[in-house]
Amino acid sequence: MTLKGGTSQACAACKYQRRKCSSECPLSLYFPPEQPKMFQNAHKLFGVSNILKILKNLQPCQKAEAMRSIIYQANIRDKFPVYGCWGIICQLQYQILQAEEELHAVHAQLEMSRQHQHQISSLSDDMVASQLELGMAPPSTNALSLFNHTPQPYNAVDALPVTQQQHSYWNCNRAAYNSGYMDTKDNVGNPFWVQHSYANNDNNSNNSLAIQSELVSSQPLAIQHEVVHDYDEIHPFFDTIDDRQSYIDSKEPYESSSEESLKDTTQSVEHVAENELKSAAACFSLTSVN
Amino acid sequence: MSSSNSPCAACKFLRRKCTQECVFAPYFPPDQPQKFANVHKAFGASNVAKLLNELNAAQHEDAVNSLAYEAEARLRDPVYGCVGLIFILQHRLKQVQTDLYNAKKELATYIGPQAMLPILQPPG
Repeated sequence: MTLKGGTSQACAACKYQRRKCSSECPLSLYFPPEQPKMFQNAHKLFGVSNILKILKNLQPCQKAEAMRSIIYQANIRDKFPVYGCWGIICQLQYQILQAEEELHAVHAQLEMSRQHQHQISSLSDDMVASQLELGMAPPSTNALSLFNHTPQPYNAVDALPVTQQQHSYWNCNRAAYNSGYMDTKDNVGNPFWVQHSYANNDNNSNNSLAIQSELVSSQPLAIQHEVVHDYDEIHPFFDTIDDRQSYIDSKEPYESSSEESLKDTTQSVEHVAENELKSAAACFSLTSVN
Repeated sequence: MSSSNSPCAACKFLRRKCTQECVFAPYFPPDQPQKFANVHKAFGASNVAKLLNELNAAQHEDAVNSLAYEAEARLRDPVYGCVGLIFILQHRLKQVQTDLYNAKKELATYIGPQAMLPILQPPG
C-alpha cells in the first residue's frame, strides 16, 4: 500500500495484513516489501503477535539479531517442515562426531608412524655405531636399505579398531525424541538414509550424535574458509535432505523434563564463549529468500 | 480425550473440551503441561495446528517434538533461540575438519597420499 502523498512502500508485514504501514511500524525494518516470502514464513511459524512479543522484551541493540534468527528459523521450517532447525542441529552434531572420530583415528596412525620412524632411525644409528667400533667401513647403502624399507600401504582399517557405532538421530540433546527422517507418506527412501540402524549413543562427552554419515560432505577434506554464515544461507549439506522421506522407525515420546532435553545442548552452548556466538553471528545479514 | 477421562495438556491449558478429534491430544499428554505451554507461548496453538494440518499424520509426532525443542530454546534465549547453536556447531565442524585435513596432510608425509582417504568406514 502506498502512503498517501509519499513514495515509500508498505513493508511486507503490512502488505500481508493489508494495513497502513506507518513510520513507526516495528517490523518494517526487517521485512522489506520486495521479500514477501520471508515475512510469510515468519508469520506462518511465529505469528505477528508472537514476534512483537519477543521484540518487546529485548534491548534495541538485540532486536536486529533476534529478527535475523527468527527469520532464519522460519525459513528453515519452511524448507524442512517436519524437523526444522532441530534436524539441522542433529545432523551437525553427527557430522562433528564423525569428523572427531576420524581425527582420533588419524592421530593414532600418526603416532604409530612417528614411533615407527623413530625406531628405524635408532636402528640405523646403532648399526653405524657398531660398524665403526669394529673398525669396519660404514655399511653400504644397500645394507642400510634393509632398514629403510618403504612403508607398505597402510591399511588403517586393519591396523586400527574401526568403530562401527550405532547412533540415534535424536540424541542431540539427550531428549527422548528418538525418531529419524521417516516419511511413511511417500515411502521414498533417500538412499543416503535408509540403510542405517541406530541405537542410543551415550558415551559422548561432547553431546554429539549420529546422523547419516553419507550426509557428511562428499568432499570430507573440503575446508570452508568462511567461519560464519549469513542467516539466510542454509548449509549446502542440507539440500540433500528431504524432510518427508522415510528413515527410521524407533521413536520415543518427548519428555517434558525438557529441562533435561535442552540441558546438554545448552551446557555445550554455555561452554562456548559468548563472543564466539557473537562473532559467528556477526556476518548475518538479511538477504532475499525469494 | 487423550486418555479415558483426562483432557490433553493443550485443552487443559486452553480450557476447552478435549474431544476425540483433538489434534493435539496424541502429542501433548496431560502429564507434560510445560511442553504445550512452551509451544503455545513461542508459536501459538493455531499456528501449530495449521502446520500439523499440512503434514501427514505419521509426521506429526516428529514435527511436534521439533517444535517443542525450538520453542523451549526460544524461550530460554529470545535473541538466538536454537539458531545460535546451529552456528556454533557449524563453526565447530569447520574447526574439526581443518584439524582433520592438517593431520592427514602430516600423515601423508609418512604413508603417502592414501592418508587423505577416509579412515573410518561409514556405518551400515
